[in-house]
Amino acid sequence: MNMHKDDVQHKQAFDEPLWWGLFSAGGVCFAVLLPAVILFIAVLLPLGLLPAEALSYERASSLLFSVPGFLFIGAVVCLPLFHAAHRLRHGLFDISVGSDALNKKLMYGGAALLSVLALGIVVAGFLR
Amino acid sequence: MDKSSSQRLPPLKRNWWLKHRFFKLYMLREATVLPLVFFTLCLLAGMVALLQGAESWQGWIAFMGSPIVLLLNLLALAASLFHAATFFVLFPRVMPLRIAGHSLPDQAIVAGQWAGVVMVALLFFWLLGRSGA
Repeated sequence: MNMHKDDVQHKQAFDEPLWWGLFSAGGVCFAVLLPAVILFIAVLLPLGLLPAEALSYERASSLLFSVPGFLFIGAVVCLPLFHAAHRLRHGLFDISVGSDALNKKLMYGGAALLSVLALGIVVAGFLR
Repeated sequence: MDKSSSQRLPPLKRNWWLKHRFFKLYMLREATVLPLVFFTLCLLAGMVALLQGAESWQGWIAFMGSPIVLLLNLLALAASLFHAATFFVLFPRVMPLRIAGHSLPDQAIVAGQWAGVVMVALLFFWLLGRSGA
């Protein structure tokens, strides 16, 4: 692998700004949007503290499977996933777990896969 | 960033960050993404349930109400607020704002971002919190 080290460095000069950009954008979403999203969807909803029809099956479907729903998932799932991937990759490096070349592929690859899945679900529900 | 610099520097021990409060806070901030990933996976499960039908959707809400899931998501809420607190103070350092030649005080930029958090929460309240919505 070390023979290709210079190759790797050369490539990283191209893609690191992309990962950093996604990390920053995801960080903004995580900080500004996620507190409210988690509070309403993961705390108030299961505790039954929202009005009964607020997120009924029909209302939740019409909210999610729409153009605003698509943008919402992009900001609340996809970008924060890339933020998380970046921090996990660097965190693993900090505690010397695995190799960074592999971690990088696993983390960003996982974030990309889950993002496509999430956006695909919205599109599937929209076309239904 | 080249991550193979360990070839030039002696490798750090795995517990290097436990030796100073600053590094512990750094690692805690890195760890805020763990409960975030948990919440995101929950949300993805909820989206699949919504696609499947009304019964699955009710089942997912019940799953979200189970004590451990609720506890982990409360942790995610706390993590998002801690992340926000550390993230917002970076903004004026990375991009100081100047209006009409005067630089905006750091506290104003940080307060503005917290106002954004409150606005989003109010938007959610408007969308989901009122009865008869």
